[in-house]
Amino acid sequence: MKKIHIALLVIIAVAIAGLLTLTQDITTYDSIESARKKEGKYVHLIARLDRNSPVLYDPVKDPNYLSFYAVDSLGSRAQVVYRNAKPTELEHSDRVVLKGQMKDGVFECREILLKCPSKYKDDPNEQFRKLQQTPEASSIKTS
Amino acid sequence: MQYEGEHLLIGQIGHFFAILSFVSALVAGYAYFRSANARELPGADAWKKMGRIAFGIQAFSIIAIFVTLYLIIYNHYFEYKYAHQHSKRSLDMQYLLSCFWEGQEGSFMLWTFWQSMLGLVLMRRARQWESPVMAVLSLSQVFLASFLLGIYFFDVRIGTSPFVLMRNEFPDAPIFRDPNYLFKYLTDGNGLNILLQNYWMVIHPPVLFLGFASAIVPFAYVVAALWKKDHVSWVKPALPWALFNGAVLGLGIMMGAAWAYESLTFGGYWAWDPVENASMVPWMLMVAGIHTLLVYKHTGHSLKATYLFLALSYLLVLYSTFLTRTGVLGDTSVHSFTGEGESLYWHLLLMILTFILVPLLLFVRERRKVPVIHKEESMNSREFWMFVGSLLMFVSAGYIIILTSLPFINKLAGTQWAIGKDVEYVYNRVMILVAVVIGILTAITQYFKYKDTSRKYFWNHLLRPTVAALLLSAAISFFGGFDYYKYGVGFLAAIHLSLWAGVYAVVANAAYLWKVLKGNLKVAGASITHLGFGMMLVGILISSSKKELVSVNSTGISVRGLKDVKGKEEDPAENVTLIHGVPTPMGKYVVTYEGDSAVTKNDRVYFRIRFTTADSTRPRESFHIYPNAFLVKGDEGMNLSSNPGARHYLNRDIFVYITSWLNPEAQKKDTASFRNTWVKKGDTVFYSKGYVVVNDVITANRNDNKDLPVVDSAWLSDLRIVSQDGRSYMAQPAYFVKDGQPSVKWDTVHTQNLVLNLNAVDGGRIQLGVKESNAVMRYITLKAYAFPYINLLWLGTVITVAGFLISMYRRLVSRG
Repeated sequence: MKKIHIALLVIIAVAIAGLLTLTQDITTYDSIESARKKEGKYVHLIARLDRNSPVLYDPVKDPNYLSFYAVDSLGSRAQVVYRNAKPTELEHSDRVVLKGQMKDGVFECREILLKCPSKYKDDPNEQFRKLQQTPEASSIKTS
Repeated sequence: MQYEGEHLLIGQIGHFFAILSFVSALVAGYAYFRSANARELPGADAWKKMGRIAFGIQAFSIIAIFVTLYLIIYNHYFEYKYAHQHSKRSLDMQYLLSCFWEGQEGSFMLWTFWQSMLGLVLMRRARQWESPVMAVLSLSQVFLASFLLGIYFFDVRIGTSPFVLMRNEFPDAPIFRDPNYLFKYLTDGNGLNILLQNYWMVIHPPVLFLGFASAIVPFAYVVAALWKKDHVSWVKPALPWALFNGAVLGLGIMMGAAWAYESLTFGGYWAWDPVENASMVPWMLMVAGIHTLLVYKHTGHSLKATYLFLALSYLLVLYSTFLTRTGVLGDTSVHSFTGEGESLYWHLLLMILTFILVPLLLFVRERRKVPVIHKEESMNSREFWMFVGSLLMFVSAGYIIILTSLPFINKLAGTQWAIGKDVEYVYNRVMILVAVVIGILTAITQYFKYKDTSRKYFWNHLLRPTVAALLLSAAISFFGGFDYYKYGVGFLAAIHLSLWAGVYAVVANAAYLWKVLKGNLKVAGASITHLGFGMMLVGILISSSKKELVSVNSTGISVRGLKDVKGKEEDPAENVTLIHGVPTPMGKYVVTYEGDSAVTKNDRVYFRIRFTTADSTRPRESFHIYPNAFLVKGDEGMNLSSNPGARHYLNRDIFVYITSWLNPEAQKKDTASFRNTWVKKGDTVFYSKGYVVVNDVITANRNDNKDLPVVDSAWLSDLRIVSQDGRSYMAQPAYFVKDGQPSVKWDTVHTQNLVLNLNAVDGGRIQLGVKESNAVMRYITLKAYAFPYINLLWLGTVITVAGFLISMYRRLVSRG
C-alpha cells in the first residue's frame, strides 16, 4: 500500500469521525406539540406570530427580553421568550423559524429566522397581492 | 386596449437579443464541436471560423441585452416587471447597477456576460485548444442563455425573460383595466432591498460572478484533454486560468465577507451561511486542483486527481447556484433568495447533469489511457505534501457542502434534519483542525523540492523560520490574552495551535521569499499567496476568538434577592438601551445617545452616539460613532433596517448598530435633565406630579453577601412613587461597583415619564437622580462589537490575491 493511500485513509477516517460526532448536533424540525413532548431538547419550530396576543418588548425596562405567542399550522400555541432585542420585522413576518427549547411550557428561543413578505419580492403571489392593493392606496393619494 | 405611455420597443429589442444569444450560442457550440472533431484541417478551419462568428454574435447579443435592461431601469420604465420589482425613482445612481444583480435574471445575465468576455479572450489565445474548449464554453452559454429565454415550450416556460411586462405577468390585476395605469398606479417601483444599498453590493457581485464564470475554463480544458486524448499540452494554457479563478473567486468571496461585516447585522464577516459556503467550496476545489496540476506538470503524478478537482470546481459552481437560487435551502439561509419554482429547479438540474455526464463519459472512454505513474512519491518530495494538502482541501470541502446541503437532502430523503444549536461551531471545530494542518503544509511544503529533498537542505533552510515562528506565536499566545473558553479548553488549545500554524505559514514563506528566492518577486507568486493566506488565518483567529461584545448590559445585572432579576450570566444580555442624554456605562466606555438626524428624503436616519473611555488612569478618549437606519414603510407601520456605524483603528474596529428605536412620530424634543438629591432611607423627594418615597436602601458587598455573583458591591434602592391622582408605583434603581468601575441601573415609571437613577453613594446615603421628561422618552437600543486585528484578514486577502496574479502572470509569459 502506498503512503499516499495511508494518508487518504487517515483523512477519510478523520472526516467520518467528524461527521459522526455531528449526530449530537443534528436536530429536527418540530411542531409545537412535538416540541412540548421533548422538553429541554433543542429543536427548530416553524410557526407564525399570533397577532391576537400582545408582543411584549420594552427596551427601557429590559432590552433583552421579548415575549410573544406563536401558533403553528396544527393550531397549537405557545409563549415564546427571546432574550435579545426584538427583530424589527417581527410584526411583518408571515412565518418564523424559532430555534430553542421548551421549558415549563414556554419556548426559550435562542435564534429567530424571519420570513418576511418583503424578502419574497420574486414571489408572484406576493406581487399579485400587492397589485390588488395598489388602486385604493393610490386613489386615496390622488383624490 | 390601447395603453398610454408604454415603451414597448425597447423590451422587444431586448427579448430579440435574448433569443439571438441563445441561438447563436447553439450555433457556436455546434460549429466548434464539428471543428474539434474534424479530421482534416480545411474542414476544421471552416467550422472554427463559423464558430467564431457565431460566438461573436452571441457576445454582442449579451451586451445588447445588458444595455437594454440598463436603459429600462435607468429610465424607470415601470411597465417592465424587472424595473418595477427592483428599482425606484429615489434610488441613488450608483445603486441602479445593484438593481441588476438583485434579481435572478440579472445575475444570470452577469454570469453569461463574463463567460462571453472570457470566450473572446480564449478565441485569441487558446490556439490549438480553441475548438474543443470553446465548444464546452458555448454549451454552457446555451444553458445560461436559456435561463433568460422566457418562451413556452409545450406549456412549460423555459427561463424567465427580464423584459416581461407587468400587465402580461399579472393580467388579472384590476389596475390594468385602466389604459392610464402607468400614470395612475405604477408610478414607482418597489425599490432595492436596503441591504443591497451598499457600495460593496455594486462591486462584489460582478467580481464574484467573474469568479464563477472563470471556473468554466479549467473545466473546459479538462474536457478537451479527455476528448482530444492529449494529456500533456493542456496543462500550460490551463494553469493561468486556474490561477485567475483562484484570485478572482477568492477576492469575490472576501468582498462578500467585507459586505457582511460592514452592512449586515450578522455580527461578523463569516457565519457559515449556505450562500457563503456554496461560493467557497468551488474555490477550495480550484485551489486543490491548482496544486495537483503543478504536481502533474513537474512530476507526472496526480493527473486523475487534477481532472477530478478541476471538473468538480465548476460543477460545484453550478450546484451552489442550484442550492441558492431554487429555494431548496428554504428556511436555513438569511439570504432569502426564492426561486422561480419548479421550472428553474429542473432546468438547473438538467444543466448539472449534462456537465457531469460530459466529462464522466469521456473519462470512462479514456480511462485506460490516462497516464499514471506507478512509482510512489517520496515523503521527502514536494509533490507528496502538496497532494496531501489538496486531498485535505477536497475532504473539507466535502464536509462543508454536505452539511450545507442538508435541506436538499431532507427534500430528497423526506427527513427533517437540521443543524442544531450552534451552526458555526459545527463547522469551526472541524475547520480549525484543518487550518492547523493546512497552515503547517503551507509553511513547509515549498522547502521540499520536487522528487526528492536532502534532509540537510530542508533543515538548513527551515530551522530558523521554525524557531522564529514558534517564538512569535508563543509571544502572541502569551501576551494576547486569549480567553475564549466558550467551547472548553480543548478548543482554546486548538486556537493556539492553529494560530501557531498561521504564524508559521507567514514566517516560513517570508523567509523562503527572502532567503531562497532572494527577493525575486517574479517567481515568488506562490510564496506571496501562501504568506497572505497565513496572514488571513491569523487575522481570522484573532478577530474571531477575541471578538468582544462591547454592549454588555450591566444595567440589568443579575443580583439575587432583588425583585427584577434580568439577564442570566450564562446568556449575556447583548443589548443596551440608551435614554437620550443619559450617559450609560457599557464595558469600558460610557456611552451617550446624543441625538439623531431628522428623517430625510431617503428615509435614512443617522444617530450620534458618544463613546468616552471610563478608565480614569489613562488619558480619556472620546469619540462619536454614527450608526444609521432606514425606515421602511411596511404594511403595518414603520420598520427599522439598521446599518452599523464603525470606528476604525489600525488594530481593531468598533461596530455599533441600532436594534430598536422608538417611532419618531411619537417623539418630541426632550430637554429635561436629572435633578440630583442626597437621600437616605425614609426620605421623600418631590417631583411636579407627586413625590418619591425612599422605602429602603440596601447595601451589599462581596465580603458579607454571598448572593452577589457578578459585582463587588451594590446599593439597591426600593422607591415608592405616589402621583397626584393617588396612584403609586414601584421602582428599583441601583448602583453597582465592579473592579472599581461604577455602573448604574436606572429605572423608569412610564406613565409618569419619570427616570430614576442612583448617581453616587456615600455610606448609607444615596444620590437620587430624578428626571421628568416632558416628552415620551427618547431612546435607542443598540449592540456593539469590537473586532481586534481584523485588518490582518483584509491585508492577507489582498496579498493572497496579488500572489495568485503574480503566479498567473509568470505562467503566462514563461515558455516552459
